[in-house]
Amino acid sequence: MPNGIAIEVRDLHKNYGQVQAVRGVNFDVQAGEIFSLLGPNGAGKTTTISMLSCLLEPTQGDARIWGHSIRSDSMAVKRVIGVVPQEVAVYPDLSASENLNFWGKMYGLRGAVLRQRVQEVLDIVGLSDHQKGAVSKFSGGMKRRLNIGVGLLPKPQVLFLDEPTVGIDPQSRRSILDQVKEFNRQGMTILYTTHYMEEAQELSNHIAILDHGALIAYGTHQELVRIIGELDRIELTINAEAERVLGTWRATEGVRQASAEDGKITLLVDDSNLVLPRLFDAAILAGVRVTGIQIQETNLEAVFLHLTGRALRD
Amino acid sequence: MKALDVAYKDLLRHTRSLFVWVMVFGAPLLIAGLIYFAFSGLGSGGGQLQLPVTRVQVANLDQPGSQLGGFAAGQVLLQFLQDPDLANLLQVTAAADEASARQAVDRQVADVAMIIPADLSTALAGPGKTASIQLYQDPTLTIGPAIVKGLIDGFVDGFSGSHIASAVLAEQFQAHGLPTDARTVQTVAMQYADWAQAVGESRASGQHPAIVWQAPPRKATSTNPLADLAGKILAGQLIFFSFYTAAATAQSIITEEEQGTLARAFTTPTPRTTILAGKFLAVLLLVLGQIVVLATVSSLLFGVRWGQLPSVTAAIVALVTAATGFGVFLMSFAKSTRQAGLLSGIILTVLGMAGGLFSVGVETLPKAFAALSKMTPHGWALQAWKLSLAGAGLDELLLPAGVLVLFGAGFFTAGALMFRRRLA
Repeated sequence: MPNGIAIEVRDLHKNYGQVQAVRGVNFDVQAGEIFSLLGPNGAGKTTTISMLSCLLEPTQGDARIWGHSIRSDSMAVKRVIGVVPQEVAVYPDLSASENLNFWGKMYGLRGAVLRQRVQEVLDIVGLSDHQKGAVSKFSGGMKRRLNIGVGLLPKPQVLFLDEPTVGIDPQSRRSILDQVKEFNRQGMTILYTTHYMEEAQELSNHIAILDHGALIAYGTHQELVRIIGELDRIELTINAEAERVLGTWRATEGVRQASAEDGKITLLVDDSNLVLPRLFDAAILAGVRVTGIQIQETNLEAVFLHLTGRALRD
Repeated sequence: MKALDVAYKDLLRHTRSLFVWVMVFGAPLLIAGLIYFAFSGLGSGGGQLQLPVTRVQVANLDQPGSQLGGFAAGQVLLQFLQDPDLANLLQVTAAADEASARQAVDRQVADVAMIIPADLSTALAGPGKTASIQLYQDPTLTIGPAIVKGLIDGFVDGFSGSHIASAVLAEQFQAHGLPTDARTVQTVAMQYADWAQAVGESRASGQHPAIVWQAPPRKATSTNPLADLAGKILAGQLIFFSFYTAAATAQSIITEEEQGTLARAFTTPTPRTTILAGKFLAVLLLVLGQIVVLATVSSLLFGVRWGQLPSVTAAIVALVTAATGFGVFLMSFAKSTRQAGLLSGIILTVLGMAGGLFSVGVETLPKAFAALSKMTPHGWALQAWKLSLAGAGLDELLLPAGVLVLFGAGFFTAGALMFRRRLA
């Protein structure tokens, strides 16, 4: 592994016919860090991670995982990675123990080493008491934990986690995030994809924001927030359809970006003290009443809004 | 080694599927069992297929003259009908006279009354003479009287030659201007009648003095016609469901593709070819297990004798190869499990029908159908299994088994290449 870089991505492209799913992505992940790929659904996160885990062949470009090329030395890459796919990819009709035993063999583990590792992983993911039961009877959170457990079996140098918290309850989500931090504390390099900006914010040393297959921002959380500069982020609710004022507010002096989602209108403005009275005046003229207002700390959501003009969860 | 791990995992999963138990073992046995028991309703006692015994009263009025040299056609006919080999078809008793024989039918003590005329021997032995055997039957019966008539036809046919020989001899005498020598004509007719009688007796014991039957050496498989029928039906079911099992098991590649486990397996340091080989191996092993279990269970339950061990082994190997190859090939076209289910259901049913799997009991099918069946692996498989059931040796199975193996190898290669290309 040269210069302590665990993952080195260079000019990575993936095309499906005329569709460019990933367009020239470049980034480095230092060994021992948690790196997040943040972006809305369809941004190219899963395609990127699929190429890095040698599941898909890039149309152009290359990447090195722990010094091994995904193009020319894929088997070596597979020996240093663990993959946790977005969908739960385990066998529902087998038990947790049988699943881990099978996947352990696929990673080349055998005999006593395999048995010991299966038990360790069951302990790590908290399924020791449920190791004999069929996975089909597991709760969604338990399945997710087993899904992660499979990726941990080979004690990977680099762990790819593709949106591991999608569709689970807050408690299980908290548990998974804590586990990810623990894996990292033990020295594992983690590439984490998510469309939850708060997860990326909480976990990551570095974050890359992807949109429409292209990397649009890259840095630490602080570096990314600094892109916005001194802008304020205001979240407003009104007693009517957002479209009735959105256009007017977007054109209001001092407003840099405006987007509406779930009945809320999010604005990036130069100075909230100056802009807010103008927004109220425009609302009165449009016959709309402002029913709620919140001035928030600038975050990655605001960065995405600033860079793309759209909310992260659009 | 990893291929074995994949195959073991697949087989473990299949053993936990109710669908697999039902479709792989339950359904074929159930169908064969239902047909077996439906047919066994026609028979009685030990599963032997039996027709009801026809009771025949024979009034033998035949009066052979001394000039016939002891030839008594009525007595010969009576003995022929009383042959022990016909005991499961006919119960023949001699009546004192014509009236008592007819009355026996009227009183339903007998099903058929047979009146042998006084001049039967003379008519059968001499030229230019005729005699009629009268049959008086219960009008509600059809099969029994028809059997009696058929037997008499055969008997009388054997003596028709003596008529012809006598007539030809008499004509030859006349053609050469010689006086007809009645004694010579009589002697010739008698010799012919003796020969016909000998043929009739020989036929009763399964021989023919002028014909030597030859066939490849085969071990007797079964003397039970019901078990033979069940064997053929089960062979059809076995073939149909083995192809179905292979396709359904190969479908797990598509299922795993949809569930994401195949993609996950491809991210492990295990070559894709190894993973696919393991999955193909599972298909092969499950089909093999299915055939062995079904053959064994049907042998125990229905008394089916599948044939000589080398022949059965060849039939099994050929069927496993063909079914596995075709299953992999078929599934390589399916884009989803939904499509796979439709594809295998339709194609395997059509091929099964074309291959003759659902008409195994019908012996006389049109030639076009027979030719069509040879265009399907199912048809060749059926031929191989029928041969084995009939006790054929390994050399006779070489052609159908060889064709099946070629079918299987070709399909497998094409299917495996398509899967490799698709999952590359």
